[in-house]
Amino acid sequence: MIEVKNLTKRYGHHTAVNDLSFSINAGEIVGFLGPNGAGKTTTMNIMTGFIAATKGDVMINGFDIVAEPEQAKAQIGYLPDTPPVYGDMRVDEYLSFVADIKGVKRTSRKEMLEKIKQQVHINDVSRRLIKNLSRGYRQRVGLAQAMVGNPRVIIMDEPTIGLDPKQIIEMREVVKALGKKHTVILSSHIMQEVSAVCDRVMIINKGRIVAQGTPENLSAELTKSSGKIQVRIKADPTQIREALKEYAVIRHINVLDSREAGTTDLELAGDEGADIREAIFRCMAKHSLPLLLMKSMDLSLEEVFLRLTGDMRAEATGYKGGDSE
Amino acid sequence: MIPIYMKELRAYFTQMVGYAFLAFMLFLVGMMFSFNNVFPQSGRFGDTLMAASTSFMFFILVPILTMRLFSEETKHKTDQLLFTSPLSVAQIVLGKFFAAFSLFLIGVGLTVLFPVITSRYADQGLPVSQIVGSYVGFILIGVCCIAVGMFISVLTDNQIIAAVATFATVWVMFVMDALAMTMPVSAGASLLFVALVILAVAGVWYYSTRHWLSSAVLAFIGVAVAVGLYLHNNLIYDAIIVRAMLWFSLYTRFGVMSLGILNLADIVYYLSFGALFTYLTMNVIEKRRWR
Repeated sequence: MIEVKNLTKRYGHHTAVNDLSFSINAGEIVGFLGPNGAGKTTTMNIMTGFIAATKGDVMINGFDIVAEPEQAKAQIGYLPDTPPVYGDMRVDEYLSFVADIKGVKRTSRKEMLEKIKQQVHINDVSRRLIKNLSRGYRQRVGLAQAMVGNPRVIIMDEPTIGLDPKQIIEMREVVKALGKKHTVILSSHIMQEVSAVCDRVMIINKGRIVAQGTPENLSAELTKSSGKIQVRIKADPTQIREALKEYAVIRHINVLDSREAGTTDLELAGDEGADIREAIFRCMAKHSLPLLLMKSMDLSLEEVFLRLTGDMRAEATGYKGGDSE
Repeated sequence: MIPIYMKELRAYFTQMVGYAFLAFMLFLVGMMFSFNNVFPQSGRFGDTLMAASTSFMFFILVPILTMRLFSEETKHKTDQLLFTSPLSVAQIVLGKFFAAFSLFLIGVGLTVLFPVITSRYADQGLPVSQIVGSYVGFILIGVCCIAVGMFISVLTDNQIIAAVATFATVWVMFVMDALAMTMPVSAGASLLFVALVILAVAGVWYYSTRHWLSSAVLAFIGVAVAVGLYLHNNLIYDAIIVRAMLWFSLYTRFGVMSLGILNLADIVYYLSFGALFTYLTMNVIEKRRWR
């Protein structure tokens, strides 16, 4: 459906997008994840034909965005980071203007607009001036705009920014529903958001894709090698060290802080790939030290993201406070 | 084009700009009508149009009309909607141009009342050909100024800057005649002027192609030919600055038209002036998107 090849965008000496290539199949919901300034918005602006790439091609449903802009743009509905709404128009007026510029036939228009308004819950504001609407409603009007004309691809830049928690949940529902009929691409710097709705995540940093896959795969793959186990034992550290001495498989012992009175939190690890959970159990049982908690220190998607995007400070803390509930 | 045109025209009347424009235009033309037709009891309405255009008409009114055309879209990021829609750049630019032009025409249409009123009191009839000629010139100058204003509006996202820059540019276009008279007429100064123009052309060539050899050759050959002509026969350099400026002047040609003389060359000049700036507007947008 969408084919992006070797996309590069330079602003003077600054490279915003660096040799980006990916393809997106019809019906997928894909999330671009990355810190601010990673090149998400630039990529989307290039894909929608708003700005040009320095190098590279974008094909939308077989149409080149540079060579055949009219046909390619007709396939896309775009919600930029600021909803492109006219404050002086009423919601209905605005949507019918959008229908005009997208060349929606007059006969099917009314029905289509009604349906869209229902989907994004803006029926009750359809007679109001857009400038008097709250940020959340404006965002929804912007989304409605992207849906007008039933484009095959819907591209959304930070669709939930500035929304309250209830609206965020509603927005997710809308995005999921859209994914049934359209190919959806959205960007975000918030992890839960992307993992909640997307089939596939691309983590973008400094204009490059640093990792991609399903949200589950991403965290599984990137944490496979860690093999660290966090335990909470009702004993003091010296007792525990003494007990663990007999078990050679447990190579690495790192005492963390104590979070409950009379207990100690530790981080344990064996050789690469070794499963040490059973050894821990047997050791503690033998010395009758109550084992209160044992969990593997998987990285959350958040930590994966921070590691990939190269924030050293976050990486250091990523292990220590590694609660991955 | 039609949806953009309708949207812009509607915006003029939902934002007060349209009413302000029409009110101010009628006030100015009405004032000039009093001075040129009512008090001297003259039926020559062309004088009114002439006076209105040389006083405030275009420098003040055109910025009101054009400052928002693109600046506002850029500022509110609604340009993202327009330029990612299936519309072509030409459709968007022309839609906006014709919306501004239509509002201007509505104003012009309302001023037709003035000569109609005078015609009731004209014993020997009105100088119809002169009035028609003046109207044609007035409308054509409107085309040029709106195109220039639209071009400036696409360069900035600040409406105030767009308005002030348009004011200054249109003003210079109107005082071109007066400026021309202050220019040196000697052959030497003319040669310098021609050489500067050639260098500027070479500069533009370099800016758009980034090919320094061809631009250097262009500049060198151009200047060499200019100097050669100067040595061969420096009479052709006589007052070339003045002649060039008068040729570009919008006002000189308007003067001819107000006599009721419609030259095809003059009409083509105005229309191509307007078309050039409309084309430049499209190019600025295209360039921003395709570089």
